[in-house]
Amino acid sequence: MRSEMSKDTSGLVRALRLLIVTGMLSVGLSAGEVTYEQLLDPPPENWLTYGRTYDSQRHSPLDQVNKENVGQLAPAWIFPMPGARRLESVPIVVDGVMYVSQPNEVYALDARAGRRIWSWRREPARQRGNNRGVAVLGNLVYVSTPDAHLVALDARTGSMVWESKIASAEDGYSSPAAPFAIDGKIIAGTAGGDNGLNGWLDAFDATTGERLWRFHTIPRPGEPGNESWAGDSWKTGGGATWLSGSFDPELNLLYWGIGNPAPDFDGEPRRGDNLYTESVVAVDADNGKLRWYFQFTPHDLHDWDSVEIPILVDAPYEGKMRKLMVHADRNGFYYVLDRATGEFLHGTPFIDKLNWATGLTEKGRPIRVPGVEPTLQGNFVCPSTSGATNWMSPAYNPATGMFYLAAKEGCGVSYKAKQEFRPGGFNYAATGYTESQEFPWQMFVRALNLTTGERKWEYKQVNSRAYGAGVVSTAGGLIFAGDDQGFFTALDAESGEPLWHFNTGTRISASPISYAVNGRQYLAVSSGVNVVAFALPPAAKD
Amino acid sequence: MVLLLALSTSALGADNPLGSGPEVIAEGHALFNKLCTVCHGVDGVAGDRGPAMAASRRYLRRTDEELFHAIQDGIPGSQMPPMGISEDDVWKIVVWIRSERAKAIDVHVEGDRQQGSEVFWGKADCGRCHVVRGRGGLLGPDLTNLGARMSLKQIREALTVEKPHPPFGFRPVTVKTKEGRTISGVSKNEHNFSLQMIGDDDRLHLFARDEIDEITYADKSLMPTDYNERLSAAEYQNLMAFLSRLSLRGRDSE
Repeated sequence: MRSEMSKDTSGLVRALRLLIVTGMLSVGLSAGEVTYEQLLDPPPENWLTYGRTYDSQRHSPLDQVNKENVGQLAPAWIFPMPGARRLESVPIVVDGVMYVSQPNEVYALDARAGRRIWSWRREPARQRGNNRGVAVLGNLVYVSTPDAHLVALDARTGSMVWESKIASAEDGYSSPAAPFAIDGKIIAGTAGGDNGLNGWLDAFDATTGERLWRFHTIPRPGEPGNESWAGDSWKTGGGATWLSGSFDPELNLLYWGIGNPAPDFDGEPRRGDNLYTESVVAVDADNGKLRWYFQFTPHDLHDWDSVEIPILVDAPYEGKMRKLMVHADRNGFYYVLDRATGEFLHGTPFIDKLNWATGLTEKGRPIRVPGVEPTLQGNFVCPSTSGATNWMSPAYNPATGMFYLAAKEGCGVSYKAKQEFRPGGFNYAATGYTESQEFPWQMFVRALNLTTGERKWEYKQVNSRAYGAGVVSTAGGLIFAGDDQGFFTALDAESGEPLWHFNTGTRISASPISYAVNGRQYLAVSSGVNVVAFALPPAAKD
Repeated sequence: MVLLLALSTSALGADNPLGSGPEVIAEGHALFNKLCTVCHGVDGVAGDRGPAMAASRRYLRRTDEELFHAIQDGIPGSQMPPMGISEDDVWKIVVWIRSERAKAIDVHVEGDRQQGSEVFWGKADCGRCHVVRGRGGLLGPDLTNLGARMSLKQIREALTVEKPHPPFGFRPVTVKTKEGRTISGVSKNEHNFSLQMIGDDDRLHLFARDEIDEITYADKSLMPTDYNERLSAAEYQNLMAFLSRLSLRGRDSE
């Protein structure tokens, strides 16, 4: 009796598996495995990585929502994240399932209905820093945690499959960035640069969680670049990896932006260029070895983390097809590099108020203006430490050839003081900054010519001074942007004209995405404590 | 200095071994600016990662004990870490934060309130734009609870120091509508798609942006900042006495 029953059950399971495998289970949706091939060329309806594609262009090929019908775009659903603070998570969508996170938690939602499928919470949970999203590969969902672990969850149930330590939480580390999935590997980084904790980039085996390699962002003695730190200052140099990166599968190179040196505002103890802080590094995906680097702000004194997402584009440059990497830095300059070699090609400010450098040399090194360094009494600098841009993602539209970003105009006053390093994750910024009263902050969405950085248009977000909302580009000719007033706005990608807006009611501090389920296109963004999805009313689709 | 010297000792708990004298406040001030500014801003007035400790109007931790433990032990569930400094240094920071938070009503102010009231409604003409207990104009902030909201220093600066920009919600604006009407007043809120204002007719006017032909802003606040010149020294001091006692707390500390 007992054995017969189990035989029957296993037969049923086998039959169901067969149905799923052969795609015959046609009622509703079945979420599939994510293969490396799909990550290389994501189906239009899915959003599989932080920047949608390995080049981080954040351009969705979906065009159902376009300039003509975007005026009819309406909320489809709202999912309030239980216990959330201000969300910065970029959702991932796989075949109708949305994976969205906050510190210590991941939710799987029905991407059509906004209904919870499962949730996972790290226990015990340590509260430190933020969380910006998950990665997917195979049947697993990957998230990094405030206690600096990388956790792999079963994509169907949310049960934990493995966890690996990225860094020691007791030392003060955390890991807010969305992990990054490549062929068989998951890349994860650290936060803690403002506490003088040196950063690294780790690669883990996607199946077992075993660590495969580590790239140290601050070179150790004997390694090239260590000489760019006076004395022992490299030991507490910072250089966090608190945002995701990009990947060129042909060159097999990972591109990652590195955070600020510590102490942030006092450069005296750390004379030298302080490599590889405020740089982008190109790292061999097989072994974590540095191929090249480019430093945006040598010996930074203003906490201008260079973690901003690098966008990879193959485009003609001075008449020749080049593999380009473009990057809008928190220091106010837009850079064009050759991503095979790291060669600096071009750079220009993308903000009007920039007083710390008169320009860039032929090699791309800033020509510094003396007298803008932080002082005990406070010194005026533009942009402020809060930066000309930050973690919010830019986008690139191949049809317009424009690079789109959230830019912040305005200035600050920066202060410094002597501070001693203390192990365990204590502040080592050597003081801070305030907003300038004379030149307060103002947010814009700006479109730049990809190779020249020339401003093509701008959209002033009236009354918005706090950043956080990135942009997404769609084949419908639209740019979607958010702001601190809570408005989610569709802009004409050619002209910057606002074509549609919705007041979500709470500050948007995350980058939006677009996906489709059963032929219906959605836009989604984390706003305050909610995830909000928009779509055209069913009748308006055609 | 008036504010520091006059800080009531009863505001601080018995556990504080250092008292709240000016030197303790000064030491706490220095410690704060050495250790706390990256999150709470210089002088605790603003920060991107932590609350303004000494400038905002709402505090989660009001008592000395609560402040002491937040600094010594950190705040679980937040980014506030234990500071790892000596108890004496923690107390110094507590004393400084409390001194910064003292409101005008908490400190002694020289002058005659009654005569200050006459200056307010008369020569200084404050009531043209400001309301006190339901009387006055609507373009400026309601001052009924001023003494309990602002420090003496903040009130003095409001009367004598020009701000580079009008404060949010009080930006002078003139709107020309597509229908040809022109309305002047102050903007209460605005965005790319709408504008809410109160006109100098003391009425609310709400616009969608596409109803507006032209918006003109003034760079400066409507608030004059030369009261130390347009009033005599005695009138000014009496006005300060009047303003600092405006409170809904229902007590009079004089």
